[in-house]
Amino acid sequence: MPARGHATGFERAARVALRVFAGLVLLYLVLPVFVVVPLSFTAGQLLVFPLPGWSLQWYRDFFTNPLWTGALLNSLSIGLIAMTLATTLGTLAALGLHGSRSRWKPLIFGLLITPLAVPVVIVAVAIFYYFASLALVGTYLGLVLAHTVLALPFVVVTVSATLQGFDPNLARAAASLGAAPTRAFWTVTLPIIAPGIVSGALFAFVCSFDEIVVALFLASPQQRTLPRQIFSGVSENISPTITAAAVVLLVVSVSLMATMELLRRRGERFRKQVATA
Amino acid sequence: MTLSRPILPFVVAISLATGTAQSQTLTIVNQGGAPADAQRQAVFEPFTKETGIKITVDTYNQELAKIRAQIETKNLIWDMASLNPINERAGCEEGLLEKIDWKSLIDEKPFRAIGGFGECGAPYLVSPGGLVYDAAKFPADTGPKDWADFWDTKKYSGKRGLLYQPDQVLEVALMADGVAPLDVPKVLAGPGGVDRAFRKLAEIKPFVKWWKSGDESMQLILTGEVDMVYAWQGRVNIANRSNKRDLKIVWPAGYVSALIYFGVMKGSPRKEEAIRLVKYQLAAEPQARYAELMGYPPANADAYPLLSPEKRADLPGEYASRGIMQAGSLYINFWLDNGDSIRQRFATFVAQ
Amino acid sequence: MTIADAAPGGTKGGIARDALKRAVERSQRRQAVTMLVLMAPSILFVAALFVLPIALFLFRSVDNGEIRHLLPQTVAAVPDWTAGELPGEPVYAALVEDLRTLKDTPGVGLLGRRLNYAVPGFRGLVTKTVRNLPATEVPSKKDALIAIDGKWAEPAILAVLRQQSGRLTDFYLLTALDLERTPADQLQRVSGEQAIFLDLYGRTLLISLGVTLLCLVIGFPVAAVMAAASPAVANLLLILVLVPFWTSLLVRSTAWVILLQNEGLVNKSLMALGLVDHPLPLVFNRTGVMVAMVHVLLPYMILPLYSVMKGISINHLRAAASLGASPPRVFRTVYLPLTMPGVAAGCTLVFILSVGFYVTPALVGGPRDQMIGYFIAYFTNSAVNWGLASALGALLLLLVALSYLVLGRLVGFDRLRVR
Repeated sequence: MPARGHATGFERAARVALRVFAGLVLLYLVLPVFVVVPLSFTAGQLLVFPLPGWSLQWYRDFFTNPLWTGALLNSLSIGLIAMTLATTLGTLAALGLHGSRSRWKPLIFGLLITPLAVPVVIVAVAIFYYFASLALVGTYLGLVLAHTVLALPFVVVTVSATLQGFDPNLARAAASLGAAPTRAFWTVTLPIIAPGIVSGALFAFVCSFDEIVVALFLASPQQRTLPRQIFSGVSENISPTITAAAVVLLVVSVSLMATMELLRRRGERFRKQVATA
Repeated sequence: MTLSRPILPFVVAISLATGTAQSQTLTIVNQGGAPADAQRQAVFEPFTKETGIKITVDTYNQELAKIRAQIETKNLIWDMASLNPINERAGCEEGLLEKIDWKSLIDEKPFRAIGGFGECGAPYLVSPGGLVYDAAKFPADTGPKDWADFWDTKKYSGKRGLLYQPDQVLEVALMADGVAPLDVPKVLAGPGGVDRAFRKLAEIKPFVKWWKSGDESMQLILTGEVDMVYAWQGRVNIANRSNKRDLKIVWPAGYVSALIYFGVMKGSPRKEEAIRLVKYQLAAEPQARYAELMGYPPANADAYPLLSPEKRADLPGEYASRGIMQAGSLYINFWLDNGDSIRQRFATFVAQ
Repeated sequence: MTIADAAPGGTKGGIARDALKRAVERSQRRQAVTMLVLMAPSILFVAALFVLPIALFLFRSVDNGEIRHLLPQTVAAVPDWTAGELPGEPVYAALVEDLRTLKDTPGVGLLGRRLNYAVPGFRGLVTKTVRNLPATEVPSKKDALIAIDGKWAEPAILAVLRQQSGRLTDFYLLTALDLERTPADQLQRVSGEQAIFLDLYGRTLLISLGVTLLCLVIGFPVAAVMAAASPAVANLLLILVLVPFWTSLLVRSTAWVILLQNEGLVNKSLMALGLVDHPLPLVFNRTGVMVAMVHVLLPYMILPLYSVMKGISINHLRAAASLGASPPRVFRTVYLPLTMPGVAAGCTLVFILSVGFYVTPALVGGPRDQMIGYFIAYFTNSAVNWGLASALGALLLLLVALSYLVLGRLVGFDRLRVR
């Protein structure tokens, strides 16, 4: 972009136009996300503007209807278990990768993130056929395992990134002061990379909580997750309760991801502090 | 809909190990929406009160593969399924459903008019689909009288709604081409029948909005997006009632009646409970209650006298000769043999 | 490691050195084993729950297990039969025996369905034949079968038995490419009305390319503005991009269905502004699909671009300008090439994601907008044809792999450095 101070009138106009364009695009990005919020408070029966009035009826329906509360609980429990499993496996793997000098390292890393590279519909169908032969379709275990597979790459990538910014001299310093490797890990490494692990965990949870394609194939009525229930609602009959459900989904995902982002930034700042100290 | 109570995380852990088992709950799958609600009110809730057997309802869109996957892997999620005539036959032949001699359990006479029982399934619902228009838009006598009118885009400009599925729609196309309803199965299965139907559909294609769900069909006509639509009677009744509208079905034009069967999944441990439910659902009073709520004709002819006069007026009744029953060997075999290739052709046809 | 190599030898120093070398190697091995142990659970997990299912999925597209399982004797008798002629008595006899075994079992329905994929009407033929099987004493099963139904002498019917009796079959893959084998074993294009899959792939590619292009054209200026803004403003803009990115795609697709319907906000605003006098059809058609997909995928274009652009030093541009280049020239020759890695990353990401899309077009699009993912789901759930679904999926995977290779090669993935 042209350096400031040398801009002609045309260039100034172009810059203004560019900013207006960017503003419109950002509006386009953000509007749909927020449009569901006021709609969920509508006092009417249809999802149209202007709202005939404000009401909590759809939230009341959401929190009292066993269909929706069951779905919410399913999403939460499956998400928590998948998150724990993925975070444990992924953190261990990231630590292993970080400390490994093997020439297989890039291959292993690639393997662990392939679930990200393949279209979700194929992953879902392939796992569906496989689980069908194992009688795992329509079971909590099946859904948890599938979600863990999808979430694992996110944990590996997040924790690996954190470890890359981690100064190994800190651990060496602890060792030189007489700490055994495990002690050094628990008292020095872990606290520093903890925000990275928590980030990975949050990412994994949101990944499972928002997940729809695999749930479409693997969930029976008892395991219906929140997104699965919303999908039914949208494709079969649009009751305004789905906007309340969507807002719940929205609030959970965005707040957790925002927390993750804050943690990431804090971690970066902290590591920069430690590096320059 | 009654559902099992939400399961808490620590119970999840237990269920992971042992698998949830609810012996006194029947799981049924049907197509959901308004008919499912009516069924719950008119049949399931009274049944549960009478017998103590709880009922859980899941929804699907006649995807036989889901039933097949459960049977093949011995991983049954459903105990009973609502099936259209083609799936009832296919499922029975493939061994996905229990073969049950319904004749020995239920009197067949009141069901003869609709074709009796299947080898595996028992019909509990007749779902006629016909020409529907909004009387508010076409007052007095100006509305369409037959399928030729539906096809006449010069006389009646405006869009049309059709089901995004070849069965029922090809039949309608043949009726518009002048074939009498009772002859349609023969013509369709005969040489050149399918081509003839597709040619006729091509005439009207630019004006068609395709709908996939019963609710969508109602949304199209209620919002005025289409002027006429092929839609199912039950949906029309419910739409009229809950929106206070005046949609009319033109029975004399010719209509297609689908039977919906109840089938029991092969190997279900709750076969006895399932049979009890079927017997209950097919008895005259529950049939009449269901018909009243839903507006569909009852499968059980003995239920007709129990209906209110207004309800009876809504039904095709005297126009039986104008209805194509989706039943009979010729018709079912034709669709079983050619369904896949026709569906593919239909998908191409619509996509162009 | 360096200690062992560095010091030159003296016997006493040598022994100590060797001991040290061994000690170091031992601890290194322990370290390597520890690291392996840490990685092992994840590797096994991904191998068992991802790699294996995908491999089985790909195998299913060529697996002919069904026919071999249901018609074992027929399949064994087939090798003695040459193309073009009617098979001999052994094949027909074997067929009768196999059908006899299947009689009154679900196998009849399964066989009928499987064979019906190849030739519509085969199902009816199988059920009819099973009901009228000739007795064992009948001398010529061949004549008996042809007497039951003349179809048993038809080349098309027989060709299926001959062509699809191996361990593997190319039937599903050919179907996915709109091809079929004639009785003479030639490949030919499937008749017009049945040929939908190449068009589907074409449609999927078209939509994906369109979405990628739109994202690039829209995202590039936005990323540039973000990169040039002050840190505080850039942060705010970044949040505005991240929030939709964090929102579930289901919520976003639902929001678009609501916004674009006839009584939705977009149409209401357009009419209020007087731009149109009746609602435009914006949803359940291609427009809706493009709008929604671009919305979902735009952050995947903006974020890599922003990341790369942030790292472009303004000094490069100033230098070029000071050498006399006009602003458009600076843009074209200096700025644009420097953004290429970001463009590559963004385009690859968006294209590959959009090719596999299923949920968004299913919710927002009409029947003419469904992409290949929808049909993979259709053949898995509705039509009971897992072989074809796998074949379609295998081809999709091939497409994705090719895209990675081509796009990566095109703009040099190794040059990509994300800050």
